[in-house]
Amino acid sequence: MAEISLKNVVKRYGKVEVVHGINLDIEHNEFVVLVGPSGCGKSTTLRMIAGLEDISDGTVSIGPEVVNDLPPRKRNISMVFQNYALYPHMSVRENLGFGLKIAKHPDDIVAERVNEAAEILGLGELMERAPAELSGGQRQRVAMGRAIVRHPEAFLFDEPLSNLDAKLRVQMRTEIKKLHQKVKTTVVYVTHDQVEAMTLADRIVVMKDGYIEQVGTPMEVFNHPVNTFVASFIGSPPMNLLNATIKGDQVVFSDGTALPVPTRLADLVRDGQEVVFGLRPDDLTPVGHGIAESGKNAKLTLKIALSELLGTETILYTSISGQEAQGKMFGPRNVEPGEVLEFEVAIEKVHLFDAVTGKSVRKQ
Amino acid sequence: MDGSLRKKIGSVATWGLTFILMVVICVPGLWVVLTAFRPNGEVLAKPPVWIPEDPNLNNFAKIFGFGADQVAIPVPAYFTNSLIIALTSTAIALLIGMSGGYAFARYRFSFKNGLFLGLMLSRTVPGIALSLPIFMIWSRIGLIDTKLGLIIVYVALNVPFTIWLIDGFFRQIPKEMSEAAQVDGCTRWQAFWKIEFPLAKSGIASAGIFAFLTSWNEYALASNLTRSTDSKTLPVGLMDFTAQFTIDWAGMSAMAVIIIIPALILTFLVQKHLIAGLTFGGVKG
Amino acid sequence: MATNRPPFWQREQYTPYLLLLPALLTLAFVVVLPLLFSLYTSFTGYRLIRPESLWQWVGLRNYKRIFADGDFWIAFGRTIVFLTIALNLEFLLGLGIALLINRITWGQRTLRTIMMFPMMFSPILVGYQFKFVFNDNIGILNNALQSLGLSDGAIPWLVDKYLANFSIIFAEVWMSTSVFAILLLAGLFAMPRDPLEAAKVDGCNPWQVFRHITLPFLMPFVFIAMTIRSLDVARAYDIVDVMTGGGPAGRTELLWTMIARTGYDNARMGQANAMAYVSILLSIAFTYYFFTKLLAARKYMGGAD
Repeated sequence: MAEISLKNVVKRYGKVEVVHGINLDIEHNEFVVLVGPSGCGKSTTLRMIAGLEDISDGTVSIGPEVVNDLPPRKRNISMVFQNYALYPHMSVRENLGFGLKIAKHPDDIVAERVNEAAEILGLGELMERAPAELSGGQRQRVAMGRAIVRHPEAFLFDEPLSNLDAKLRVQMRTEIKKLHQKVKTTVVYVTHDQVEAMTLADRIVVMKDGYIEQVGTPMEVFNHPVNTFVASFIGSPPMNLLNATIKGDQVVFSDGTALPVPTRLADLVRDGQEVVFGLRPDDLTPVGHGIAESGKNAKLTLKIALSELLGTETILYTSISGQEAQGKMFGPRNVEPGEVLEFEVAIEKVHLFDAVTGKSVRKQ
Repeated sequence: MDGSLRKKIGSVATWGLTFILMVVICVPGLWVVLTAFRPNGEVLAKPPVWIPEDPNLNNFAKIFGFGADQVAIPVPAYFTNSLIIALTSTAIALLIGMSGGYAFARYRFSFKNGLFLGLMLSRTVPGIALSLPIFMIWSRIGLIDTKLGLIIVYVALNVPFTIWLIDGFFRQIPKEMSEAAQVDGCTRWQAFWKIEFPLAKSGIASAGIFAFLTSWNEYALASNLTRSTDSKTLPVGLMDFTAQFTIDWAGMSAMAVIIIIPALILTFLVQKHLIAGLTFGGVKG
Repeated sequence: MATNRPPFWQREQYTPYLLLLPALLTLAFVVVLPLLFSLYTSFTGYRLIRPESLWQWVGLRNYKRIFADGDFWIAFGRTIVFLTIALNLEFLLGLGIALLINRITWGQRTLRTIMMFPMMFSPILVGYQFKFVFNDNIGILNNALQSLGLSDGAIPWLVDKYLANFSIIFAEVWMSTSVFAILLLAGLFAMPRDPLEAAKVDGCNPWQVFRHITLPFLMPFVFIAMTIRSLDVARAYDIVDVMTGGGPAGRTELLWTMIARTGYDNARMGQANAMAYVSILLSIAFTYYFFTKLLAARKYMGGAD
C-alpha cells in the first residue's frame, strides 16, 4: 500500500560493483517483476529494498520515507524466500503468528489475523503441523500466509516458485495472481523465469549485469524490446536473431536471401547498415499453418532440420542463410527432417536492431 | 554355492574382528572397574584372582572419607573443584564460542580465514609448553593454585574448538531463517534468540559437553598450576596415589571410575551431534 | 543520507569483530601474552629459585645448549617417531574399523557408541589404565599370559626399552584411533552411492572401487581427523607422565616430559621455555600441514566458500 522508489541505487561488495545505479519507481498496489539471468543483480536489488543488504549508494524509499538506514523490521514489508525459510521448530500456526507476536499484538488480534490468512490460503487443516510435514506447495502457501498476516506496505518475493516442480509452479503462479487481486498491495517479485514475469506482472523490469535494460508492461516488453538482450530473453521459444545488412529497401542475408524492410522502419535505417534481424518463431510459419494475416507476408523456402511436437503446435528447427532459426507450425501435421517447406514471414512484425549497439531500430 | 560360502566366511570374519576390537576397547576399562570393587590385597594376589570374591564399595567409602581406614587423599575436595572448574569454564567458553562461532558462520569480513587458522593454532600449543609461562605469570598475579586461574586457562583452551563446532551448527541453519525473522519484525538479537539459537541448541549443547569433558579430563596444565585442595582437580588427584611408596591400585581404580562416569554418560548424549558438528564444520568450512 | 545512521557498534561491518572480541581477548591473555613472555624467557637464564635471573639476558645460550644436548635430540627424535607411528597406526586402524563397522547392520549404533568411549577418557586415565594393564607384577596382561601358559616369567612391559615404548604407543593408539574411526565412518555414511555404482558398472573390482572412489572421497574426512588430532598431540604427555614418567632412565622421554622435567623439577625455566618453543613449532607445523591439506581437499569437494 505504498510506492517504492529507487534512486541511483548502487551495490558494491568491496571493490566489485554488482548493481550500477538503478532507478525505478513502483506505484501503489503495482505488481512489479524483476527478471533477468542469474547474477544480474535482481535478488540483490530486492534484498536492498528489504534491508537485508546495505545500500552502497543512492536511496530507497518506501512511501514517503527514505529507508536506507532502517533495519528490515522497521520497513513494514514482508518477504517470501526461495526456500520459504519457515521456522522448523514452530507449527504452521506459530509460523504465521510469529511476526504479530514480535510486534506485541494482543493474542485475540493475532488469532484473528492468522485465521484470516489461513482462510485466504486454504491452510485450514494444516495449522498444527510442523513445516517438515508439509509438501512443497503447502510450504509455499504458509510462507505467503506469513507474509500477508502482517498487512505490510509491500510484499517482496525472491524466486518463490523455483523450488517447485513444473506443474505446481503453474498452479502456485495462479494462486499468487489471485492473492494479489484479493490482498491489494505493492508487490516486488524476483524471478529468472520470463513466463512467470509475463503472466504475473503489471510491469516487468528486465535486468542484466546490474543494469536495468527495460521497464514496461508485459506487452510492451514483448512487442517492443529495446535491444537484442530483451528480445532474446522475453518470449519462448526465443526470438530468432539473425545477422543481416540493409540494401536499399531490403534486408539481405549473407547468402543473398533478401526480405523487405518493414514499412514502419523504412525511414529509420540507412543503406549498408549492419543489423540484427529479429523474428519471433510465431511469425515464421509454414504456408497454411500460420496465424498472422497473410496479405503483406514475404515467403521463404526452408529445409527442416528437426521438429518438436508440442500438441497444438510444432516447433520447426531450420536455418536461414546458415543461421539457426525456429519457426512454429500451428494446426500441425507430421514433419520429417529434411523436408522442405514454404514459410510465411510476417514482415510487419519483424524487429531490427543495430548490429553494433544492439539497440532496437525505432522512432525516438 | 561358492558365493554364499564366501559371504558366510566374510560375515564370520567381520564379527570375529569386531569381537576382538570390542575386547581391546572394553577389557582395560572393565578391569579397572572390577578392581574398584575389590580390596587391594586381591589385586596383588598370586595367582591372580579374576573375579572379585567379595565385591564391595569399600574403596569408594575410603576415598570419600567414610569408614575406619580412609585414605589421606581429599577426593571430595578434588571432586568439587573439578565440578566447579569444569562447569564454570564450560559456561563461559560456550558464551564466547557462540558469539565467535556466529561471527564465522554468518558474516564475511577481512582476515576471516586468517583469524580462524589463528584460533586453531592457538589450540595447538602443547599444554605443558603453555604451562611454563602461565605458571610464571599466574604466580606473580596471584592466580596460581586458584580455581579462577584454572577456569581462565580452560576457557581459552576450549574457545577455539567450541567456535569450530558452533560455527558448523550455525552454518547448517539457512541464513534465510534469520532474515525472515528480521523481516517479520525482529531485531538481529531477537532473531538470534528466537530462531537461530533454538535451532542450534542441541549442537551447542554437545559443544558444551565436549568443552566440559576437556576441562574435566585436563592434566598437563592443572598438574602444574594447582598445588592444594583449593584447586586440585581429580586427574591431578589421581597422581597423589602414585606418590606413595606402594600404589593403592584399588583406591586409584575407584577414583578412576569416578572420573570416567561423567564421561561415559555424556558420550551417550553427544555422540550424534558431535560427529555431525565435526564433519560439517570441517567439510563445508 | 546520514540522517539516522546507527552507532558504529550496530553497523554490519563491525559486528563480526565485536562478536569475536571476547574470544580474541581471552586467547590474547591466556595464550599470546604468555607465549611472548616465554619467548623472552627463553633468552634469559631464568631459574625459578633465583627470581632476579629473569632479567639476565643470555641471548641464544639456551637454544645453543639444548641443540648441543644429545639427550634433547634423542627425545626430539623419539617424539617424531612416536607421532609418526601413532598417527599412521591410528589412521590405518581407524580406516579398517570404519570399514568394518560400516559392513555391520545389526547393533551398529551400539558399536559406534562403544567405539567413542576412548575419545572421552581422560588421557591421564588412559595412562593409568595401561600402567595397570602392563604392570609386570600384577598387570592383567602378564597374568593372562602366565595363566594361559604363554609366558613363564614376568614380562617387563614398562621397563624394557622397546616394550616400554611399545606400551606407550599402544595406549596412545587405543585412546585416539576412535577419532579416525568415527570421522571416517561419518564419511562413509555421507558417501553418495552413484559413483560407487557407476564404478561397479564400469567394471571395477572391489579393491579398485575402494582405491579410486571410496578413498579419495574419504580424504577430507581423513584430514579433518588429522587436524583434530594434531591439535592435541601433546596429550601424550599425560599418558607418558603417569605410565613411566619418561623413565626408566629416559628410555621413554618425549619432548614434553623433558620440558616438564627441565622447567619444574630442575627449575631451569629459561631452558625449558626454549624447548617449549621447539615443541610449539612442531605442533604448529603438524596442524598447519594438515589444515592446508584439509582446505585443499575441501576445495576439491566444492564445499568451501
